[in-house]
Amino acid sequence: MSDRYYRISGKSEGTRLESRVLEELIQQAVEQGRRHIEVDAFGQHGIGGRLWKAGSEAVHVRIVNQPGQRVGAMGSANTFIEVMGPASDDVGWLNGGAEILVRGHAGNGLANAMAQGKIYVAGNIGARGMTMTKHNPRFAAPEVWVLGSVGDYFGEFMAGGIAVVCGIDPQTPDNVMGYRPLVGMVGGQVLFRGPHMGYSTADAKSVPISDDLWQWFLENLKIFLDRIARPGLFERLSERGAWQLLTARIPQERVRVERLSMSAFHNNVWDRELGAGGLIGDLTTIDRSPIPLVPTGGLRRFVPVWENRVYKSPCEAACPTGIPVQQRWAMIRDGRVDEAVDMAMMYTPFPATVCGYLCPNLCMQACTRNNQAMVPIDITQLGRASINAKAPVLPAKNGKKVAVIGGGPAGISVAWQLLQNGHEAVVYDMSDTLGGKMAAVIPETRIPREVLSAELDRIRKVIPHVRLETALNRKKIEQIKAESDAVVVATGAWKPRTLPVPGKERMVTALDFLARAKSGDIVPGKRIVIIGAGNVGCDVATEAHRLGAESITLIDVQKPASFGKEREEAEAAGALFRWPAFTRDISDRGVVLDSGELLPADTVVISIGDAPDTGFLPETVELERGFVKVNEYFQTSDPAVFAVGDIVRPGLLTDAIGAGRKAAMAIADLLSGKEHRPDTRTVIDKKRVALEYFDPRLTGFDGMDQCGAQCSSCGNCRDCGICVAACPQSAISRTEKPDGGFAYAVDEALCIGCGFCAGACPCGVWGLVPNSELPA
Amino acid sequence: MSANGSISPSTLSLKDLPWQIRWDKEKCTLCGRCTAVCPVRTLELGVFRKRVVKPNIHISHASSSSFEVYYGIRQQTAPANACVGCAMCTLVCPNDAILPVRGDEADKLVFHVNQGGTPRQRGGRRNAPGGILDRIKFIRISMLTDPALDAGRHEFELRTLLGRVLPPEENLAHLRENGWIPPVREIYPLIIGGMSFGALSPNMWEGLQMGVAYLNEEMNMPVRICTGEGGCPPRLLRSRFLQYVILQIASGYFGWDEIIHAIPEMKVDPCAIEIKYGQGAKPGDGGLLMWYKVNSLIAAIRGVPEGISLPSPPTHQTKYSIEEAVAKMIQSMYMAWGFRVPVYPKISATSTALAVLNNLSRNPYAAGLAIDGEDGGTGAAYNVSMNSMGHPIASNIRDCYLNLVKLGKQNEIPLLAGGGVGKSGNLAANAAALIMLGASGVQVGKYVMQAAAGCLGSETDRCNICNIGQCPKGITSQDPRLYRRLDPEDVAQRIVDMFLSFDTELKKIVAPLGRSTSLPIGMADALGIDDIAAAERLRIKYVV
Repeated sequence: MSDRYYRISGKSEGTRLESRVLEELIQQAVEQGRRHIEVDAFGQHGIGGRLWKAGSEAVHVRIVNQPGQRVGAMGSANTFIEVMGPASDDVGWLNGGAEILVRGHAGNGLANAMAQGKIYVAGNIGARGMTMTKHNPRFAAPEVWVLGSVGDYFGEFMAGGIAVVCGIDPQTPDNVMGYRPLVGMVGGQVLFRGPHMGYSTADAKSVPISDDLWQWFLENLKIFLDRIARPGLFERLSERGAWQLLTARIPQERVRVERLSMSAFHNNVWDRELGAGGLIGDLTTIDRSPIPLVPTGGLRRFVPVWENRVYKSPCEAACPTGIPVQQRWAMIRDGRVDEAVDMAMMYTPFPATVCGYLCPNLCMQACTRNNQAMVPIDITQLGRASINAKAPVLPAKNGKKVAVIGGGPAGISVAWQLLQNGHEAVVYDMSDTLGGKMAAVIPETRIPREVLSAELDRIRKVIPHVRLETALNRKKIEQIKAESDAVVVATGAWKPRTLPVPGKERMVTALDFLARAKSGDIVPGKRIVIIGAGNVGCDVATEAHRLGAESITLIDVQKPASFGKEREEAEAAGALFRWPAFTRDISDRGVVLDSGELLPADTVVISIGDAPDTGFLPETVELERGFVKVNEYFQTSDPAVFAVGDIVRPGLLTDAIGAGRKAAMAIADLLSGKEHRPDTRTVIDKKRVALEYFDPRLTGFDGMDQCGAQCSSCGNCRDCGICVAACPQSAISRTEKPDGGFAYAVDEALCIGCGFCAGACPCGVWGLVPNSELPA
Repeated sequence: MSANGSISPSTLSLKDLPWQIRWDKEKCTLCGRCTAVCPVRTLELGVFRKRVVKPNIHISHASSSSFEVYYGIRQQTAPANACVGCAMCTLVCPNDAILPVRGDEADKLVFHVNQGGTPRQRGGRRNAPGGILDRIKFIRISMLTDPALDAGRHEFELRTLLGRVLPPEENLAHLRENGWIPPVREIYPLIIGGMSFGALSPNMWEGLQMGVAYLNEEMNMPVRICTGEGGCPPRLLRSRFLQYVILQIASGYFGWDEIIHAIPEMKVDPCAIEIKYGQGAKPGDGGLLMWYKVNSLIAAIRGVPEGISLPSPPTHQTKYSIEEAVAKMIQSMYMAWGFRVPVYPKISATSTALAVLNNLSRNPYAAGLAIDGEDGGTGAAYNVSMNSMGHPIASNIRDCYLNLVKLGKQNEIPLLAGGGVGKSGNLAANAAALIMLGASGVQVGKYVMQAAAGCLGSETDRCNICNIGQCPKGITSQDPRLYRRLDPEDVAQRIVDMFLSFDTELKKIVAPLGRSTSLPIGMADALGIDDIAAAERLRIKYVV
C-alpha cells in the first residue's frame, strides 16, 4: 500500500525542513493531483491542514515519525489524516471537516475550536481537549473519540459536537474525565465511561442516553474501533449501563444552581444554632416578620384622632370672657338661633352691649379667616341679637353667700355667674343703679341707650343690689366679710390720674367730662385740648364734638395707644393727635407745652388713666403698684377676698367680665370644697383648619346665617362628613350618640394613617398622631 | 404655606428647598399611600381652591366667578418637615403621580437646619460624590507577560491575613522563648465594617450576620463582619457563628459585660477584636446614638437605661498616651481570650497615622491597623464632622504601607482600609485600588447598606436621616413598624449576591495581573491615574 503514497520527507539532506517549506511541498503535491501523501514528520507545524485545493476529492495524509503541533489545523472535508504514532498539542485545531486518526496518545488542546470533522485517538489525550468546539448547523457536528482518558479542563467552553471517552487503559484510572471538566460548556454532548471526579455542575448536567443516541453510538463505535484497529473491544464498550452522558445546561437551568435557599439556611442552620427566634429570640418575643410598606391597624405609623372640642377655637381663646363663639355659630347653622343667643347668658351679662357694640372683638381679630385675608366672622351680629337673650333661670340657693363690692361690669359678671351657680350673691354699690362706668361715662354714640338699658334691666332682675349709704371703709368691709362666705372686690378705678403742673386745677378729668357730657351737664366750648390720647381721650373728643367743639386736639407723650372704634370716631370728629408733646403748664388760655407753644383751649381734659381706691381694703389684702395683687383665679392674698376688674389692672370690658367669670368659678369650687380645675384646653393650631372651602371674595356677611355658614368652626366638628368622603380606605364612620350627639370613628383595620381626614377637615378637628410605641 | 401668613427668617418656599415634590393632579388617585409612608411627614393632603371666572360680554347677562375645591398632595416647607428626597412616595404610588426632584437653585434650607441653635446632625457620608479611588485605573494588563488567568473559570483563592505575621526567625524565637506566636486568621479581604446593634435595626443586623454565616458555611468564603460598638447579642456570642465576627470595643464600652459573661461559654473564639479609636465619618467624635433609638432591646444589649441618648466619649478614658493606648488595650484584649485572638486598633485616617503605625510595628501583639478614611459612613454625626473633618484614605494607606516597606515590615502588619469604598458603586475597583496601594483588606459599611438593604442615602444628600430613627427602609430604625419592612433573609441573600459579584469583579481585576492565590497587596505598578499630582503623591503611574 505504501507504494500508493507519495512520500514527502520532513528532512532534506539531513536537515529538518522549516514548517513553511514542508507545507509548501504538501500543497504542491495536492495541487499536482497527489491524493495519497505520506509525510515523514520532524516536528513540523500544522501538517495535513488546509488541503482545500483537492476540492471534493479525498486526500489521505499519513504522518510517520513525530508531527509537530496542530496536525490537521483548519482541516478540510475530504482530508483523512492518519498519525501513525503519538501526536503533539492541538490536533485538529479549528478543524473544518478533516478526519484525523491518532494511533498513539495525543497532547493538550486536541480539537480546540474544531467545528466539523472527526478525531479518533487510540490512546489518551492531554489537557484542555474538546475545548471551544462548535457545531455549525449547516454541517455535521464534530466528533472526538478517545479510547483512553482525557486530561484536565476537558471541554471548556464547549459549544457543540460529541466527545466520546471510552476509558480503556486510561492514564488516570480513577478519573477518566480529568480535573474540572466542562467549565463553561454551552453545547454538545459528552459520552464517557469510567470513574470521574466531578464536572462543572454550573454548566453541565448528566442526562439519560436516548435510544437514538445509543443507536448512533453503536454504529459509530464500530467505525472508531475499526479505525484504531481494536474491533475486539466492541462488546466491552457496548454495555449501555457503563456509559454516562453529559450535556450543557441552558441559561435558564443555570439559574437553578443547587444552593441552599436562604430560607432553608435561616430555618435549618441559623435558627438551629441560635435557637427559635434567631439572633435575639432570647431577648424579645416581638414579631419581626415582614410587613407591607403601608400597613393598617397597630402597624400604622400614625393614627387619626377625632379631637372634637379638644382645643379652643382661636375666637374662644381670644375672648377674655371665654365665650365659645364657634359653638354659637354651629347652633345658627343648625337653625337653633334662640339657643345661640341664650348661650351668651352663660358667659356674660352684656352680650349685646359688649359683643355687639363696645368690645373691640378680640375674637374677630383672632379669627382664622384673617390668615387668608378673609373678613372675620362678624360676632357683632350675634351680639346685637343677644339683646333678646332670656335671663337665666337661677337654680335653688345652696346657702353660700358671696358679697360683691362694686356694681360695674366686673362685679356684675361675678354676681351673674355666682347666682347661676346657686350662690347667694349681693352687689354692694354706691350708686342708685348697677352699671358702673358703662352706665356712667361711655358715650351714647358708642352704645345706644336702649341697648344698655335693656341689658341692665335684665341684670337688675337677676342680681340683688344693696346701695351703700356711706363711703367704703375697712370696718365696713370687715363687717361684710364676716357676714359672707367670700368677698369679691370690684370697685374699679375711679381716681383720675393727673399731672403735677401749674394750673392743673383748670383741668377737667375725663371721667367727670364724660359723665357730665352724658347727662348734658357740660359745655366744652369751641376749643378743647385733651391730655392723653388713649381710648378714653378719644371718647372725650367724640363727646366734645357732639357738644359743639370745633377744634379738638389730643396730645400724648408717646405714640397714642388708642385704637378701634374710639380712635376712628375721634378722627371722624376731626380730632388732631399730637405727640410727643409734654405739658408745661395750663393757663386760662390753654395748654402750654415744653416748647413754649400754646395750644389754645376753652376746656382742658386730663385723660391719662384712673387709679383704684384701695384704702378701704383689709390689711390682709396685698397691693402691687397701687393695684390689688391677685393670683390667676383673682384670689387676693386673703383667701376669702377676691378682686376683679380695674382694681386689679386696667382693661377692656370683656377683660372685666372674663375676670368676673373666672373668679366666680374659682369661688364656686372653693366654697364647695373642690379642687379648682381651670380650663386647660389650648388653642387649636390654625394650620389644621382648611379655609379653602370658604368664599374669599366675601366682603361682609348678609345676616347671621351667612356668618354661621362661613365660620370654619375651628376645633368644633361641623358634622360635614367630608372626612368620610376623603378617606381613601372608607375607614371613617359617623355614629349617633344616645344623647343625640354624634361622633366620628376610625376603623383601624382599614385605616392606613394617611392623614387625609386631618388634611381635608375644614375645622381641624382631625389630628394625626404617632401610633403608640410598640414593645421592642 | 399660607397665602398671606407672616414670614420668619426661616420661612421657606418650595423653591428654597433642596428637594421638591412633583405631583401630578391628573394621575393622582388620592389613595393616601404617599402621605402614610413619608418618613418626615413632609407630605400631607392639601385642600386647594380653584377660582373660575365666567365672563359674559353681553350686558344683559352678568359675569360671575365661582370657586371649586380640589384635593392634592402638598409638601410642607418647615425645616423640620422638609423633604429628604427619599422617594418612598414614588415607591408606593400606584399611578406614578409623585416624585421628589432636586431643586435647581442653591439650597436655602441649609441655612435653617440649625433651629434652636443645634447644628445639623445626620447619617450617611461626606456630601461629596466621586473621589480619587474611582479615578484609579488598573493599567497592568499582562495577558501575555504573566500567566493569563481566566477570571470567570480559573480557580482563585483570594484571601488575606489578619494578624501579626512575624518573620520566621522571630516567630521561632517567640515560640521558643514564650511558647506563643501571634494568632493569624486567613480571611476574605472584604470585611463588613463595624455597624452597631442599635445603629442598625435588629432585622438588618440579623440579615448581615446571617448572610455572612451563609457565605462561610455554604459558599466557603471566610467573610468577616465587625460588630460595631453596640455589643453583641448573647446568643451570637455563644454560637459557632462567632468565629465570623470581629468584636469591636469602642470608647462607649457598650455591651462588654455581656461579652465577658459569655467568654467562658463561647464555643469558638471570635475572629478578632477591633479597638475603635476613631471613625472616618466623624473624627474626634464618638457614637451618637440618640434616645429615640434606645429602646428596651438596645438598652438590654448595651447595658444602659432605656430612652437615653448614648453619646460615646471621643476617646477611651483610661488611656493617656499613644503607648498606653496601644499597649495596655491590646494586652487586655489578648488576655481575655488567652492570647488566641488577634487584636488590632482602628483609627480615623489622619496625618498622624504614621505615629500610630510606628508604635504598632514595635509591638508584636499588634495584629494590624484599620484606617477609616474621610468618606466613611455613619448612622449619626454632626454634618460639619462628616463634611469637613478627616483625611482621604488613599494617601493615608499609601503612606502607611510605604513606611512599612521602609521598615521591611510590609508583610507583617496588615493594614485594613475603609471609608468610601464603593461610594459610586465601584466596590471591587475601589477595594482593589486600596489593596494595590497597600491595604491587606478593605472594610465596607455604607455600600453594604445600599446593596444589601436598599439604603437610599447618597452623597448628594438624599435621605441621610439614619440618625432620627425614621429610616424608610428599616435599616437604621428601632421601630418595628419600620424595620419590619426589612426581611433578614432578603438582606442575607443580598449579602451573598454582593460578595459573589464582588468576588468575580475582583478576579476580573487581578486575573490580568496573573494573580490568583495571593492578593496583589501594594502592587502599585498596576495602578495609574490621569492626574499627575495624585500620581506623584500616591507614587503610582501617571497615565493619559
